[in-house]
Amino acid sequence: MAKSTLSKEDVLKKIAKYVKKKKYFLPPGVQEEMAEWIVKEKLFDKIEEFVDKTFEQYRRNMIEPAEACGIVAAQSIGEPGTQMTMRTFHYAGVAEINVTLGLPRLIEIVDARSTPSTPMMTIYLEGAYRVNAEMAQKIANKIEMTRLQDIADLRLDIENIVIYVDIDEKSITRRDIKREDIIDKIKKIKKVKVEEEDGSLKVIPEEPSYKGLLILAENLKKLKIKGIDGIERVIIRNEPGEGYVIYTEGSNLEEVLQIEGVDSRRTRTNDIQSVARVLGIEAARNMIIEEAHNTLMEQGLHVDIRHIMLVADIMTVDGTVRAIGRHGVSGEKSSVLSRAAFEITVNHLLRAARKGEVDELKGVAENIIVGQPITVGTGAIKLAMGGRRK
Amino acid sequence: MHYTRFEKARIIGARALQISMGAPILIRVPKKMVDPVQIAMLEFEAGAIPITVIRESDIRPRIEWE
Repeated sequence: MAKSTLSKEDVLKKIAKYVKKKKYFLPPGVQEEMAEWIVKEKLFDKIEEFVDKTFEQYRRNMIEPAEACGIVAAQSIGEPGTQMTMRTFHYAGVAEINVTLGLPRLIEIVDARSTPSTPMMTIYLEGAYRVNAEMAQKIANKIEMTRLQDIADLRLDIENIVIYVDIDEKSITRRDIKREDIIDKIKKIKKVKVEEEDGSLKVIPEEPSYKGLLILAENLKKLKIKGIDGIERVIIRNEPGEGYVIYTEGSNLEEVLQIEGVDSRRTRTNDIQSVARVLGIEAARNMIIEEAHNTLMEQGLHVDIRHIMLVADIMTVDGTVRAIGRHGVSGEKSSVLSRAAFEITVNHLLRAARKGEVDELKGVAENIIVGQPITVGTGAIKLAMGGRRK
Repeated sequence: MHYTRFEKARIIGARALQISMGAPILIRVPKKMVDPVQIAMLEFEAGAIPITVIRESDIRPRIEWE
């Protein structure tokens, strides 16, 4: 017990060295956790023993080769899934934002939809923006999408074929928008002239027609003045211990991350596809795991995270997020027989016969049809006579 | 070498089949023991079964655990 304290880094190095010497395999996360425990419990003279025991435990927890882990995972998620509430619309965290949860959300995650049905972001802020309400509001203004109809009233003058735009001064100052900006934005519409008249804007189409006027009015209403596409509503909240956090309805990770003051490391969205695009496939994998686990936990269903990890791994192996439906991973099944065993048997067989498809008999269903042992569990093991065991 | 439970089952099963068809037993077993599966299990414990498992890892290299 002489040299009592070592830093975590030193312990980590020692662990890594021992692991290498013994040809053990332990994931970095486990090694780090071990180091933390050793430092915490002051077990500096027992590092090797500690690693041995941990490895033993790790190996015991590993699944054996040939185990049908996919089926176990499917059932472990499927059974609690039957008990989920079919339709729950929960108001998460902030009282006004509506988020899909429960079974619809789980289906959405597994389906790898391009956009979730209720996209949502939690935007964390950095430095001064976190504590200063005004600065937080400024970011919120930058993010929230503002259309012309949100800040002005439109009056149609059908007789003279013009549209009057009455800007609400109060709301533009609140949203930090200048009058000139609005005029500039309107001017960008093709074939339109803008004039000021008695405090309101007069928008005149160059080719006057009744139909054209109505179309122009629609376009004007939807005209984006400020903000980021897709972000419909913004709510700022002062979270205890955190400071100001912005919650949004609608999501656009690409652009929100570029705004100054946004903490790009903690900001979250529930749009898995955009995470895959912006942050990469590993981030998407982690997000699938987290989102699926959270939706299940939220319903009071405890599913071991390793089942969900397997699902997420399979969804993301090839570098893109692929859906898992009732046919398995989309586009995966190559075997005719296993497709035929599932749905529209005759069509599949006929088409395969016409095309001259070959069946490698690699999957489970094919081998059952043919009457061979399946390649799972005991059936996956090949033996050879002779040889000597140690 | 460590065997998974599937490998163990296959080895014992294959050996029991041989024994049931009259293969010579490779270790000493209690006289009253006639069940080929029981005998195969004893042989397995003793490490006397001349059967090897062909593993995927024998063909493709992978991280060494054992």
